[in-house]
Amino acid sequence: METWRLVEVEYRDNPFLNLALEEAIPRLVGEGKAPSTVRFWHNSNTIVIGCFQSAKLEVNMEACKETGTEIVRRFTGGGAVYHDSGNLNYAISLRKGHRLVPDGNLQSVFQRLSEGAVEGLRELGLKAEFQPVNDIQVDGKKVSGAAGSIRWNAVFHHGCILVNSDLNILGKVLNVPRAKLEDKHVASVQKRVTTVRDELGRDISTREVRDAMVGGIESCYGVRMESGVLMKEEVWLAEELYQTKYSRLEWNLEP
Amino acid sequence: MSATKLERLRSADYKAPGGKLVRVRLKEEQGQIRSIRITGDFFLVPEESLGKLEKMLEDVPLREPELRLLVDRFFRGTGAQGLGVAPDDFVKAILSAKETV
Repeated sequence: METWRLVEVEYRDNPFLNLALEEAIPRLVGEGKAPSTVRFWHNSNTIVIGCFQSAKLEVNMEACKETGTEIVRRFTGGGAVYHDSGNLNYAISLRKGHRLVPDGNLQSVFQRLSEGAVEGLRELGLKAEFQPVNDIQVDGKKVSGAAGSIRWNAVFHHGCILVNSDLNILGKVLNVPRAKLEDKHVASVQKRVTTVRDELGRDISTREVRDAMVGGIESCYGVRMESGVLMKEEVWLAEELYQTKYSRLEWNLEP
Repeated sequence: MSATKLERLRSADYKAPGGKLVRVRLKEEQGQIRSIRITGDFFLVPEESLGKLEKMLEDVPLREPELRLLVDRFFRGTGAQGLGVAPDDFVKAILSAKETV
């Protein structure tokens, strides 16, 4: 059976370094230096915007200051998401051409690599379903969003799961454009999203969701996950990307 | 004597049907795009190709046939793959950009 490395390195209070490591891992996987990897991690209050988004348009800067919310840009497309300690992030890095995603089509990648998360959420008792383009929904409400890319000879997919996040802060710090809400037929972003806790009707930790995700990924993809550590090259690359890119205002806030 | 500047700012938030949001901010002068910035929550790989599209759109007339030709050429030439956004959505987003103060 194929073995995937399970990495849980995180920098909760340094979202910039968290996102730098998010890029370093698939780069090394693509080079064949690191194995197929799943990473679980958390951020403290942070808005993570997509690589094509304008921070000025998407983010309520005043609300960010008031709530101590950082803003960081990721290297993948898609929309802005809010992270706090009640949000579980996962990332899957595979070499290009991997048997699970052989055709290099981005929509197939999102669908296939969301299935492990969907399975994990179902194991917890949720009626979770993948909703194209890149969401996982429960009863029509988004509980998880994903993004990804095919580059550096790697296939990369990452997502965040709202486990017990503060949806009030989420509603304040994100400027959701009117055109987007109207299209979804909802009045506010809070009405469109939900949490695992709210859907289950009980308290639940991100650790419990992480355990269910590990089971979901293993059964869904026929792999065994084994706890592993980062390679020196991954740490060095993450530090370099942090210095040259992710800690810089011009990367995070422009255009 | 410097030439009279007739530059206009135009912007649009265009939601692709069943897809993502394309936000366009452009400077138009005498019916041509002088500069353009395209943002949004769509996916496009390789990611760096968006800058190339923006560059290609400079000095292109704000007319559908020319824009469609150029956007199609961009996708064919770069092999870029969009998700949540089709080539036509970029054209429609640009054409729907209204003058802003």
